[in-house]
Amino acid sequence: MKAWTIRLFQGKVSLQLSMRWLVALFILSLVLIGLFIIALAAGSNWIPLHEVILQLTGYIDTHSFVIGTLRLPRILLAILVGSSLGVAGLILQAIVRNPLASPDIIGITSGASFGAVTFITLGTGIISMQLLPVAAIAGGLCTALLIYIISWNKGVTPIRLVLIGIGIAAILKAGISFMIVFSNAVVTTKAYIWLTGSLYAASWSDVSAMLLWMLIPVPILLVLGRSMNVTELGDDAAVNAGIRVQSQRFVFLMCSVILAGTAAAYAGGIEFVGLMAPHIAKRLTVRAFNRLIPLTALIGAILVLVADIIARTMFLPRDIPAGVFTAAIGAPFFIYLLFHNRNR
Amino acid sequence: MKNKLWSTIVVVAAVVAALTACSKSSNEGAQVVTSNTTSENSTKVEISHVLGTTTIEGKPQRIVTLFQGATDTLLQFGVTPVGVVESWAQQPMYDYLKDDLQDVTYVGLETQPNLEEISALKPDLIIATQVRHEEIYDQLSQIAPTVVSTILYDIRETTSLIGQAIGEEDKAKALITDWEGRVSDFNSKISKVEGWPMSVSVINFREDHARIYVTGFAGSILNELGFRGPKNLEGDDLEIVRLTDKESIPNMNADVSFQFFEDNEAVNKTYEEWTSHPLFQNLDSTKSNQQFRVDEITWNFAGGLKSAHLMLDDLYEHFKIEQ
Repeated sequence: MKAWTIRLFQGKVSLQLSMRWLVALFILSLVLIGLFIIALAAGSNWIPLHEVILQLTGYIDTHSFVIGTLRLPRILLAILVGSSLGVAGLILQAIVRNPLASPDIIGITSGASFGAVTFITLGTGIISMQLLPVAAIAGGLCTALLIYIISWNKGVTPIRLVLIGIGIAAILKAGISFMIVFSNAVVTTKAYIWLTGSLYAASWSDVSAMLLWMLIPVPILLVLGRSMNVTELGDDAAVNAGIRVQSQRFVFLMCSVILAGTAAAYAGGIEFVGLMAPHIAKRLTVRAFNRLIPLTALIGAILVLVADIIARTMFLPRDIPAGVFTAAIGAPFFIYLLFHNRNR
Repeated sequence: MKNKLWSTIVVVAAVVAALTACSKSSNEGAQVVTSNTTSENSTKVEISHVLGTTTIEGKPQRIVTLFQGATDTLLQFGVTPVGVVESWAQQPMYDYLKDDLQDVTYVGLETQPNLEEISALKPDLIIATQVRHEEIYDQLSQIAPTVVSTILYDIRETTSLIGQAIGEEDKAKALITDWEGRVSDFNSKISKVEGWPMSVSVINFREDHARIYVTGFAGSILNELGFRGPKNLEGDDLEIVRLTDKESIPNMNADVSFQFFEDNEAVNKTYEEWTSHPLFQNLDSTKSNQQFRVDEITWNFAGGLKSAHLMLDDLYEHFKIEQ
């Protein structure tokens, strides 16, 4: 197979490019750009594609509210949320070395959900809802730290991390049910919509806040992504290659938490994207961690964007939470994975 | 090298946290409703509500209502909205309001109304409620002046808010006076009925549980009419109580019980199971045969002024009182 290697910053950032990888990257980017344009055009009324382009480039101003204020931030948020969830899943699957790991299963999403549901049930009508993302991110981070601390036994092994994560997730889910049962009916509805995951009401401030959070994990992944290729072979191999496995694991876990936690903060509990996107990426190309990152991000973005286009156009005038559709595709996919991996 | 990395991470995190804080606070200041002043003679009204102050110019002609109670109540002013949210039952609109809303545009569900549909209607007033629409208040305000109610089912608040917003405050006062007149009429007549003051429990059966509406829409109105709450829950300051276990049936105990529930197989099964339970047979209202099934739309879903009147009609009928 044809391959090239690009080295930047005295070899600190390097990328091995293969033809197949480049083709996959190119096609996925094209698909995402196509969907982006379609998403801008689709809605309760279809805006002709040439008018979308003219509006975006500033030649006309007739759709500035519908495109500029309603559709564009929502679409950008869908892309950010989808790529974050996808990469968060990819990281966890690499840390844990288990194809079934994802942020929803090992407790990170549950932590964010617990934070958000607590905020909704106790704070509705009392505290400004603008602070909801803070509660969700805090919930996700605290949960991840808790899981990490409990898992610590002269270092953290992947299997302990998963088992304790699943246990904590179960406790948090019980906590969520408790909060919901003890809140009144109107607030319960709100909490359920949040838990399903929806991009409804996305605004420019959500997009910029989410972008700012991305500044933490993106450079780390660019610089350290390559080292994960080795660790995926096993802790011993990584130690022999001179990698400090424990600190690497912690840094990557935190990246995954920030990605999944912020995605949950701005779009609620959208599920299964973190599981599906990395698997689809692995099908398309070689299994090197750092090369999978951009592909997974693109696939995650495509999944959430498609779900949201369906959610806001299929049942007009209703606007349905996008999480309904990711779950509808994701649950059968999970069963397929379990079935596929049964003999391993 | 590792130490360098750690310090980099810490610095990046601190910068991001600071930036996030800045972007949040700069947005909060931007909630001012601006509207162009084309006709200088038109009247301007400033309405302060739970999410801010809204300026309304002239008399709104194209109104969108985003919760059930607002749709119902606006019609009582003799004003027809151009856009409404779908009802919770008898979709798209309750039968008792259907005739008045034949040409209306539906803008989706109360929980996530479709912003594009709303803006396509080019409204000049939007009536929303905090618990459902706090997140979209900024966007709604960019479409049209938006007023927001605090409590979803408070008919007084809804009526006076609508009155202010559409410049019909006298009409709002008249509607409330009319309602209060009926309340005191009912109250004076029922206080002569034997066994007054009566306690009442409003019970709702669902697929997998039952609820007692201690306040809520029906509970608040019964309270206003002078009824007492369920005997075993007095003084507990509860709103809507979910019962998931039949052991808690004694909480439903009251002199009179009103029940509403959806008419489907699963709910009917819950109803059968709960009402045939020995604890249910032991309730005061069961023993004295004071249990009535009522319409879940007027007693719960609608939450507007007209539905309150319809609920009161039901009560006159059940207690066989002349109006």
